[in-house]
Amino acid sequence: MNPERWERLKPLFHGAIEQPPGTRAAWLRGACPDDEPLRQEAQALIDAHETVGDFLEEPATLDTQPPDLDTAPFEAVPLEVGQHVGPYLIRGELGRGGMGIVYLAEDVRLGRTVALKALAPGVANDPQRRERLRREARAAAALSHPGIAVVYALEEIDGNLFIAAEHVKGRTLRAELDQGPLGVRRTLDTALDIVRALSAAHDARVVHRDLKPENILLTGDGHVKILDFGIAHVADEALTQLTRAGAVLGTPAYMAPEQIVGIDVDFRVDIYAVGVLLLEMATGAHPFASTERASAALPPALQAVADRCLAKNPRDRYASTRDLLAALEDARRTFEGVPDRRTAPVFHAASRSAPLLTPRWWWEFHQGMAALVYWIMLVPMWNARGLIGGLPGRTLFIMALASVIVSANLRLHLWFTSRFYAGELPWVRARATRWVTAADWVFALTLVLGGLLVGDARSALAVLLIAIGIGAALAFLVIEPVTERAAFGDGRS
Amino acid sequence: MPLVYEELRRVAARYINRERPGQTLQATALVNEAFVRLVGERARGFENRAHFVAIAALSMRQILVQRARARRAAKRGGAAPRVSLDETMPPAEAQRREAPDAVDVLALDEALTRLASLDADLAKVVELRYFGGLTIEETAEAMRSSPATVKRHWTMARAWLKRELA
Repeated sequence: MNPERWERLKPLFHGAIEQPPGTRAAWLRGACPDDEPLRQEAQALIDAHETVGDFLEEPATLDTQPPDLDTAPFEAVPLEVGQHVGPYLIRGELGRGGMGIVYLAEDVRLGRTVALKALAPGVANDPQRRERLRREARAAAALSHPGIAVVYALEEIDGNLFIAAEHVKGRTLRAELDQGPLGVRRTLDTALDIVRALSAAHDARVVHRDLKPENILLTGDGHVKILDFGIAHVADEALTQLTRAGAVLGTPAYMAPEQIVGIDVDFRVDIYAVGVLLLEMATGAHPFASTERASAALPPALQAVADRCLAKNPRDRYASTRDLLAALEDARRTFEGVPDRRTAPVFHAASRSAPLLTPRWWWEFHQGMAALVYWIMLVPMWNARGLIGGLPGRTLFIMALASVIVSANLRLHLWFTSRFYAGELPWVRARATRWVTAADWVFALTLVLGGLLVGDARSALAVLLIAIGIGAALAFLVIEPVTERAAFGDGRS
Repeated sequence: MPLVYEELRRVAARYINRERPGQTLQATALVNEAFVRLVGERARGFENRAHFVAIAALSMRQILVQRARARRAAKRGGAAPRVSLDETMPPAEAQRREAPDAVDVLALDEALTRLASLDADLAKVVELRYFGGLTIEETAEAMRSSPATVKRHWTMARAWLKRELA
């Protein structure tokens, strides 16, 4: 078969399959009387077509069954508890990660406990890659920051490569996230810890490049340690190289979007990772876990930082890690004194240590005061109902009552949520705001209308109703949006 | 291209590490995740996406072929002996477990390469549909072609491959 004959085969195939199944062979004999091999070729294709079933209809799947290259290289260095590797005594297995198996080991020379990472043999066999890893390890070892696990040594023992690093007790952020979201304040605190460590590393020109919840350890005292600084990706890349060897690499005929192909990797990849982490910590789910990003309403201050970290173009992200740190600190201040859902007891003492009159406090005050005034105003409205009398009086009072029930209750609900379940406030606010606004309008208008109808009959009552009505309108149209903007960075539009 | 490939591999590796052995993962899901991670949420223009998947489909093909080769090598005894569940099963049972009417990726890859030398468009359609998980319409978009043409290509390519792999 050559392309020229293929071109002749195509119309025969497509022509034949348009015929009813029983008549295709006959049609083919008529359409191709002179070229027997070609006819046979076409007939074979049609036979295949008729039995094709759902062949290839389901897209390819990747199964998780070992053995394959993702796990095979690690198995070359199986170490047993009690075994000696150079100066290290294996005590147990800490875990398996992207880099290989991590053992808990004792450095018998110094008597200290280390995390010993056995790297894939592929790394050790390639002098160039080994040199790069050595360089990266040297840079990582120079880092000294409480938020970064110390790299002690890169060891070559019997041709295998090991990285000895500080053994940190704690649980990974992944394990923590499996329990659910961290709440906004803890998210910010954790992110601040991470970014402080990142900032120190970036100052020393070391980029992590593989920042993820599995690489972040939460220590017993609530602080953060970043693992595998600068070395994770070298080992990971080595694996990629392994599998790539022998693969036919070709560029498809059509162009790829520039941004995918030509990105230079620098510290901004870590900033991007922080963006993902922020959202994952706050919501409990990876922001890209589904194709549609969960459109949960996060506090705008937090969302804004995450969005900027996640900018597709690195130039649109924070220009430096210090900028990111400053932005996070600003966002954190917004939540000063706001208890977290997961950590705060119902009666918390956190606000005692925080400054008293934060914008958030004023906003809560506003909700409480509005609810109180609304309820009290039902008393004069009751008097007005008697004075106006008849259907108009009853209607006005019922409207006032309905609007007070809706608005005041929702405001109390907002106040309560803000005090005790701050993490849920964005959602509650997003749902309640429309109803509160509508009820506010009804309330203000009913009061003013009631005041006008009472008129001269009881002028003091009329003045009171009109004044409070206008005052309420002023409060929710002018004052409240300002308080909201101060407290949350947005306002009702 | 290398970046897409690496990202896809990373996404795949993470899935594999996290899932229990024996699970199957839709190529489409992996491609999707790699896309959002690389290009970002906002830029999910349809055209961008189609182009991305075109590259990702090629990467996916390479990844699957590599895994299949590794598996074959391991089976020949290249790797350390391992006792798997399969070995305790009767041969027929093990056979079925291993390939529940699955496509032989290595054979498909070779056949696809042959097909590409006859008709590059047909091979491309298969790559996008099977390895990239694109629909007929998306494939048409990625190839700057019409759904009708893609459908014709797809029909003939499947028949041809079916015969080649028979």
